[in-house]
Amino acid sequence: MATTTATPGSSAYERSWVLDWLTTVDHKKIGVLYIANSFLFFFFAGLLALVIRSELAVPGLQFVDESTFNQSFTMHGTLMIFLFIVPIFSGFANYVVPLMIGAPDMAFPRINALSFWMLPLGGGLIIAGYLVGGAAAGGWTGYNPLTQERFSPGDGTDLWIMGLAVVGTASILGSVNFLTTIFKMRAPGMTLFRMPIFVWTVLVTQALILLATPVITAALIALFIDRNYGGSFFDPSVGGDPILWQHLFWFFGHPEVYIVILPALGVVSEILPVFSRKPLFGYAAFVWATIGIGLLSFSVWAHHMFTTGVVFLPFFTFMTALIAIPTGVKFFNWLATLWRGSLVFTSAMLFALGIVSMFLIGGISGVMLASAPVDFHLQDTYFVVAHLHYVFFGGAAMGVFASAYYWFPKMSGKLLNETLGRIHFALLFIGFNMTFFVQHMLGIQGMPRRIADYAPDAGWTEMNLISTAGAFLIAVSMVPFVINVVTSLMNGRKAGDDPWEGNTLEWATTSPPPTYNFDSLPPIRSERPVFDLRHRDEVPHP
Amino acid sequence: MKQLIRLAAVALPALLLSGCIFPPEPKTTEAEEVRILFLVIFALGAIVFVGVEGFLLYAVVRYRRRDDRLPVQHHGNTKVEIVWTVIPTIIVLILFVTSMFTLGSISARSDDATVIEVEGFQWQWTFRYDTGYEVTGTPGDPPAMVVPAGVPVRLVLRSDDVIHSFYVPAFLVKKDVVPFGQGQAPNELEFTITEPGIYRGQCAEFCGDLHADMTFTVDARSEAEYAAWLEDPGEPTPTAQPSIPEDTFVVELSAENIAFSTHELTVPANEPFVIRFTNLESVQHNVSVYDNEETLFEGQAVTGPDATIDYLIQPLDAGEYTFICDFHPIAEMTGTLTAE
Repeated sequence: MATTTATPGSSAYERSWVLDWLTTVDHKKIGVLYIANSFLFFFFAGLLALVIRSELAVPGLQFVDESTFNQSFTMHGTLMIFLFIVPIFSGFANYVVPLMIGAPDMAFPRINALSFWMLPLGGGLIIAGYLVGGAAAGGWTGYNPLTQERFSPGDGTDLWIMGLAVVGTASILGSVNFLTTIFKMRAPGMTLFRMPIFVWTVLVTQALILLATPVITAALIALFIDRNYGGSFFDPSVGGDPILWQHLFWFFGHPEVYIVILPALGVVSEILPVFSRKPLFGYAAFVWATIGIGLLSFSVWAHHMFTTGVVFLPFFTFMTALIAIPTGVKFFNWLATLWRGSLVFTSAMLFALGIVSMFLIGGISGVMLASAPVDFHLQDTYFVVAHLHYVFFGGAAMGVFASAYYWFPKMSGKLLNETLGRIHFALLFIGFNMTFFVQHMLGIQGMPRRIADYAPDAGWTEMNLISTAGAFLIAVSMVPFVINVVTSLMNGRKAGDDPWEGNTLEWATTSPPPTYNFDSLPPIRSERPVFDLRHRDEVPHP
Repeated sequence: MKQLIRLAAVALPALLLSGCIFPPEPKTTEAEEVRILFLVIFALGAIVFVGVEGFLLYAVVRYRRRDDRLPVQHHGNTKVEIVWTVIPTIIVLILFVTSMFTLGSISARSDDATVIEVEGFQWQWTFRYDTGYEVTGTPGDPPAMVVPAGVPVRLVLRSDDVIHSFYVPAFLVKKDVVPFGQGQAPNELEFTITEPGIYRGQCAEFCGDLHADMTFTVDARSEAEYAAWLEDPGEPTPTAQPSIPEDTFVVELSAENIAFSTHELTVPANEPFVIRFTNLESVQHNVSVYDNEETLFEGQAVTGPDATIDYLIQPLDAGEYTFICDFHPIAEMTGTLTAE
């Protein structure tokens, strides 16, 4: 099925490939840069996770002191969230959103490059704390007054603030770019309700970034003023309010959860239909559920603050529980998509099914935490750690791997090895559940999070040991993935334009696509233009 | 995939049956209510879990691709979609209503509660009784809070530094200890312990280096035993300051920003000497001298700003010893004392 002509021979002018990658404004190359950069931070933050789990394997301090431990979990959380999971989906979105809507590039290619290049800068600033006497150690939530100068002296915390402000600014620039692209650059026929679900989730995600990120950036600057110029925003000893920080942080922080998870849910909603050979069941309901989650996400922030004693519990319990409704709708839509489908279990499909099964657990534990009295027991225990990892890892990070297996052939023109992909999935799935399922139980038994050590007679040792073993299994599961990517890039089989029998427009061009993406587009009459083209003689248009 | 399913089928029930998935035995009337609510919500969650994962496994097995035919293209069904929007709505409403009932009954306050003031600080707790008795822990020696069982106890939770959180797992309720600004009332936590016993607790809000060492116990006794204890809590009477001879060797030390001014002190061996300790901040510190694990001298706590105390220390053999603040046994508040 040749829908495109050959790749144009050369770019605008001759450059060495190094200079080409450093100066590129092509959305696909920038997307690859985002993904590569994010995996670097994933690697580093993953090592920090192993430090944390090693120390907690058995009681007593064996490997690191308290201060190093606190730096480890602070940097683990900060880097995983701000420099891995959010930007890597920006990377995939950068690559595929213009393709999916039939556009030649992003609306502002230079701003696109700028918002990418601010990431290594911001991440570098955050990590630089290690070089100046210790990285930030106040937790990724940076609660006040603990992060004030008098309790956290040292430049690590200031670098953390500066780095996050840079990363936040990059996100804001990126979101303006995405929103403009999606609203103004769609191909003829690509109405809003014919957009692929992934584009919809990116649209809502970027709107959340635009509304939430300025709040945290402002709060970080206020904290910087407190620390360095005698401000009094958050320090109660000089008239500030430490709870104000929590409000500002979580007003950003809860939408941030959906910023992380929505693109992954979008990826699932692309992969399940393709490998079931059915359309997504209830496309419009799915879109409205996504928009609903986005809107609700701004009214639930104080469920992170139930135990502070100063928030109105019924309102936030109610609003938080409401999120279960649009989320439930999504689960039913996915199950109905599988129903009477024709399922084939590629690695991408395995990861997508893994997300459905793991994110479900994160959703259920989230509803438990929404109930204020239950939260009084579980808040700040390992139950919360388990919950957030079922959402961020079982949902979002599994979504990263699903995306990688799904779009790698498009990005590289090569197929990944399916056997290695299945081994990767199996090891990761087992390791993930070993690590985090027992943490629910640790939390229910009362083990607080963020402690460097625990008593030998607390009864937590066996479960911590299982959790640590699981963490190392997760680390091992990355080996087949890396081998797979490297060997497939070198001598993988050719992918062709459309190895999966895809639905959306990125499969209607070459792999990898040429500069400016398309020579011609198929007609767009539904959310599955490539499917319609392939089956134009069999299936009447709905 | 099949092996995975089999593994999960064996492992998950085994984990569930281990019992750790349920909260600890509740020891307060409030905890009993929270536990019931937990079980209700857990049961709802379990139904959803089994239903969704069950269908997922069924679909994975039943709808495997067997031939190349295109399945029927269902795009949606409004009736079905309305039904499955209503189902989670009902679950959510059940959850909300039951939560509010529980919240109402565990938040009730009584007028005749025994009031104990709890102060969290980096990194331990002080418990103050209205008789004037108080007990302060150190990371190496956590305090016990003696309380009456069977009657309401109300804790007034204060902090002067960072946010802590008072948490006893067997009570199933925690409350943050927040350094509120001027004019804002401190948080309170009320509970009625159902049976005497010793219950572990610890700080649940990350508060810096020795967060993990902010442990304590709650020692619940019958009302009569509590009353007897409160009469005579066996308070260690503060030892009178021994008079210091005039020509005693004096070495100076101060503390600020939770750090000693120096980490090396040198004193003459085999004669008494004085550590003149100045605490420059409003956080309590002390100085104690250790020979490995053995305590040679334990200094009285002092709280600044700008408070000075003389610790008279008995003669030491020549050698190296460790001096440390018992409240903050971190590297910044540890040093080497050399007697020569």
